[in-house]
Amino acid sequence: MTGKALALCVILLGSLGAFIANLSSGATSIPLDAVFAAFFAFDAENYDHYVILYQRLPRALMAIHAGALMACGGVVLQGLTRNPLASPSTLGINSGAAFFVVAGAYVFDLGTEAQGLAAMAGAAFGFICVLSVARLAGGDKDPRGLSLILSGALVSMLLIGLANAFLLSDPARRSDFLGWVTGNINHVYFDRLVFFWPLGVLALAGLFFLARPLTLLTLGEEKAASVGVSVRRVPRLALLCVVIGSGSAVAICGPVGFVGLVVPHVVRPLVGVNMRFALPAAALFGACACLLADILARQAFAPYVLHTGILLDLIGGTVFAVIVKRFYLSPGGQTA
Amino acid sequence: MLEAKNVTAAYGKHVVLDRVSVRFAPARLTALVGPNGCGKSTLLKSIMGFLPQSSGEIAIGGEDRSRLGRRALARRIAYLPQESHCPDYMTLGELVELAGYSRFTLAGGPSETDRKLFHSALETVGLADQAGRRMSTLSGGQRQRAWIAMVLAQDAEVILMDEPVNHLDVKYQYSILKLVRGLTRSFRKTVIVVLHDLNLAASFSDDVVMLKQGRVVASGPVRTTINSAHVEEVFDLSADIFERNGRLVFLPHQSLESLDQDARRA
Repeated sequence: MTGKALALCVILLGSLGAFIANLSSGATSIPLDAVFAAFFAFDAENYDHYVILYQRLPRALMAIHAGALMACGGVVLQGLTRNPLASPSTLGINSGAAFFVVAGAYVFDLGTEAQGLAAMAGAAFGFICVLSVARLAGGDKDPRGLSLILSGALVSMLLIGLANAFLLSDPARRSDFLGWVTGNINHVYFDRLVFFWPLGVLALAGLFFLARPLTLLTLGEEKAASVGVSVRRVPRLALLCVVIGSGSAVAICGPVGFVGLVVPHVVRPLVGVNMRFALPAAALFGACACLLADILARQAFAPYVLHTGILLDLIGGTVFAVIVKRFYLSPGGQTA
Repeated sequence: MLEAKNVTAAYGKHVVLDRVSVRFAPARLTALVGPNGCGKSTLLKSIMGFLPQSSGEIAIGGEDRSRLGRRALARRIAYLPQESHCPDYMTLGELVELAGYSRFTLAGGPSETDRKLFHSALETVGLADQAGRRMSTLSGGQRQRAWIAMVLAQDAEVILMDEPVNHLDVKYQYSILKLVRGLTRSFRKTVIVVLHDLNLAASFSDDVVMLKQGRVVASGPVRTTINSAHVEEVFDLSADIFERNGRLVFLPHQSLESLDQDARRA
């Protein structure tokens, strides 16, 4: 077995462990035998079985969905833009989706299904805004891509500010979205998961299918084109998949930040930059990171429960600083 | 046989190639030479179809390039750009394997024949035992060999290289160009190389195309094409061209003393 295949197996086992641990832990810890019994010998009279299947499993599946899609989005965006800070949260995709969902619900009174479409439209809108602002700011002439990231920060602040303004405008409905807008992995959003998980799976399948040409694009457009890659179609399809995937994750549990930024940096040293390995590894590792963050969010301040999105923002903000130091402030900083 | 007919290319309003027609003989090494901005790299990009503002006809083996799809073209022509970027953590073996993309089916990967070809490409450049090494850990010369291995693994009959010995010291320049010349002899590849150094072009290539301001001034075998008149016309520089060890050598006329005198007058 090659080192990369071995690393993938270890990440897979780690993710499985995190999944089981996530089901087992909570306000009350449920023993592992009860966790397995809930799946294979469900007893409707058993309260623990009920909690596992109807509260913790949806929550864990949401964490897997959001973590896998955000991480894969980060791998693709960092590869295509060759920017180590690119991710759905730093390039306006998450904030665009969040703004459109809140605006759609407040202004047009959109139902849950339509909010999913709004999230995807918003994800595309946010990303296009960031690219446009970066171009206006002369991003083409900036080889280190800082203008792209600064444009992402600007657009994200603006869109989240607008979303918050909508929330403040109607205090009666504020509680519906107040938790969601900070990224909240919670079983109350299970209906959203039921609607939108197929879109996430479709996006992941699309990205896995494009893995080889995406890897070639990391060598530069001319090199990729000379080997036979359609350098117009492949990035557009890949970005569409990222927008759909991230949009579906935001539609379910709000903008879960920084998994997409951090995970690519963790998986690259383990499995390399070939997307055929990096994408599955990122999906698994992203899921694992969200599952563990969810456990921590529930346990760290018990009996109070922290929103997973807030915890991930705290961890991600620190890692963001480390990446900036390593890639931008160190002499001879590496590229993504 | 690769042929460019009346190729014109522009960046915005600036015309870089003006009705260039040139034929590249098969299994020979052709060097494109000329001053900076004369259109050498642009000619390679036009052949690859990278420039939107480009007209004229490119024929490969009598077939019109514009009728070939991107993958079909990749099976006929391989291209090594002037600056090649390789992400950190990519290994040499992975890089070479990517060259087979145009032959892979959508779902499948490399065949056994492909794998043999990748190994043979690495053997040719002398890096067969380094396949597991990260590209970022290779020396400048090794890295350039790795890119040549990728181009070779593409298994195309024509190879275009844009300044493959830039940023390399003299020893590596010679070893890389020896390797490139070897491709025309051992594998019967048609290789077209952009070179800045006229002495390197005269030493290693079979044919030379001399360009100035987007036009072909002279083209043909090295011995008949590189002469004082053509060099003066292309580079605005008078020079001696003489033979040493069976190779042409180019030496500008001005001695060091006359250069110093010019400097003192200025």
